Amino acid sequence: MSELSQPRTDLAPVRRSSGLFGIDLASPRHASKLGYLLLAPAALLILAILVYPMLLAIDISFHDVKFATLSFGASEYTLANYQKLFSSPDFWKAIGVTAQLLVVVTSISMAVGMGTALLVNQQFRGRSFARMLIALPWAIPEVVAVVTWVWILDASFGVFNWLLIKAGLVGGPVSWFSQPGTAFSAVTMVMVWKGYPFISIMILAGLQSIPEEYYQAAKVDGANVFQRFFWITIPCIAPVLGVTLILTILWVFRDFSIIYVLTGGGPVGATETLAIMTYEEAFNFFRMGYASAIGVVTLLICAIISAFLVKKTSHAIY
Amino acid sequence: MKRTLPQSILLYVTLVLVIAILLFPVYWMVITSLAPSNALRSFPPQFWPQNPQWQTYTNLIFNSDMPRWLMNSALVAVAATAISMLVSVLAAYSLSRYTMRGSEAVGLFILMSKMLPATMLIIPLFSIFRNLGLMGSLWSLVIAHATAIVPFATWMLKGYFDSIPQELEQAAQVDGCTPWGALFRVILPVAAPGLAATALYGFVLSWADYLYARTFLANAAGNWTANVGIATFKGEYQTDWNVIMAASLLAALPIMIAYLFLQRYLVGGLAAGAGK
Repeated sequence: MSELSQPRTDLAPVRRSSGLFGIDLASPRHASKLGYLLLAPAALLILAILVYPMLLAIDISFHDVKFATLSFGASEYTLANYQKLFSSPDFWKAIGVTAQLLVVVTSISMAVGMGTALLVNQQFRGRSFARMLIALPWAIPEVVAVVTWVWILDASFGVFNWLLIKAGLVGGPVSWFSQPGTAFSAVTMVMVWKGYPFISIMILAGLQSIPEEYYQAAKVDGANVFQRFFWITIPCIAPVLGVTLILTILWVFRDFSIIYVLTGGGPVGATETLAIMTYEEAFNFFRMGYASAIGVVTLLICAIISAFLVKKTSHAIY
Repeated sequence: MKRTLPQSILLYVTLVLVIAILLFPVYWMVITSLAPSNALRSFPPQFWPQNPQWQTYTNLIFNSDMPRWLMNSALVAVAATAISMLVSVLAAYSLSRYTMRGSEAVGLFILMSKMLPATMLIIPLFSIFRNLGLMGSLWSLVIAHATAIVPFATWMLKGYFDSIPQELEQAAQVDGCTPWGALFRVILPVAAPGLAATALYGFVLSWADYLYARTFLANAAGNWTANVGIATFKGEYQTDWNVIMAASLLAALPIMIAYLFLQRYLVGGLAAGAGK
């Protein structure tokens, strides 16, 4: 605590020594002391609640830890979890499901998000109200949203089936959660619905930063609406698109609640992603070591994807 | 840019259509919550309640565990947000204003920690909380939620602080403020919209959590949060969809109201934080 008074006593000599403003915040000696002090609480907290648990998870993944023996220190280091994992068909299936979901959900929700953003970026009366409305699903807790969707998709009395029948798209009610294909579609639909508002918000912010003059100049040069979109809009919002894409991918990759409450990973593993598999192994089958190994692999894939995309998108920026 | 009348009509029709489709689930939640139980087992469904039942809500509020669960959600979200904001504001300010050895690494790690899968983190946290005797306690959630809020809030706030000119606190210091005084009396008031947006985001993260709440509070029904309660409804009262939807709306309402008031700042904040 004595350090708290440090910056003040520190200030006097700095004030005398520097020029225009009497103080120089960029002075390294002064800067670092207060800087470290301000950073310390967050750094300590992150060490305690993120770094230590993460290392612990990696450690657990190298032990044969069952639920009852969560005191894993006793057992020996082993690669058994990883060996078992890589030879498990369930694991490879979960990788496949995760990859499929990633591609489908990310591309559809980016498209819907982009379309919505372009729409509410137009000049019209009630624009801010429309912007508020389209982002509303973002404010609904995942579980609440999912439970609502379960009701909408209900096989017997769900309104979605009724609308489909009315539109002549299906002959009779569809039991959405009992077949692999329809269950996957249901997960996709709900994830897109929950994910697009964030994407729209981000893209909209990007769109607003594009100077109107660019479009006017392009129009004078005779560029049509598509040319303007691909040669002005897309390059201008490329950095925002890149960040949004990374965040969306990571979200789909790690999401637990939507799939778990909607389908529980079923039927027959059709919607079992790595995140669901990790949780099931840990808290339904109590194989903590094995589950941690899946978690570590998930983390590595996340890290590789985002490192790759950060590189790609920063290339797009400069 | 001037639009012709047909273009305007097309724009508004598209808008109404898109918003109607995207917000249909919210509409359906409200309609279902007001419908009498027998109306829910009719096919075709009723798109407008013939005689709205407010009783579903009064029952939930006066004769169920829902108020208690909502209170638990609120307690956890307020505590997790407050603690996280306190450390994040200081860290973000530090990362924004000072160049220190290691500060880049800290910034990078904060960003990286957003990648940690919660389903992986939950295993060591489970072990730690069990050893600390925090299982079933709301504090376990406060800590677990901080793991998500602190990195995000620090990242977002750094974006805000970066956009505030350094001359502001330099001027304050010339006028006799200490660096602390400059931060608390000059910078934080200027950054107030950013702070509000970040705090709201933290609150939403905590309020929306299901994974941690379900795992750490599984055997402590009295300490359940609203989301855990609602998820059990899903299995328990499979047919009482009006009750489930009313409970769902009660759980979504606090966030939706906060969102309506703060969405302008929130949108700016998300973009500022992520656009960097």
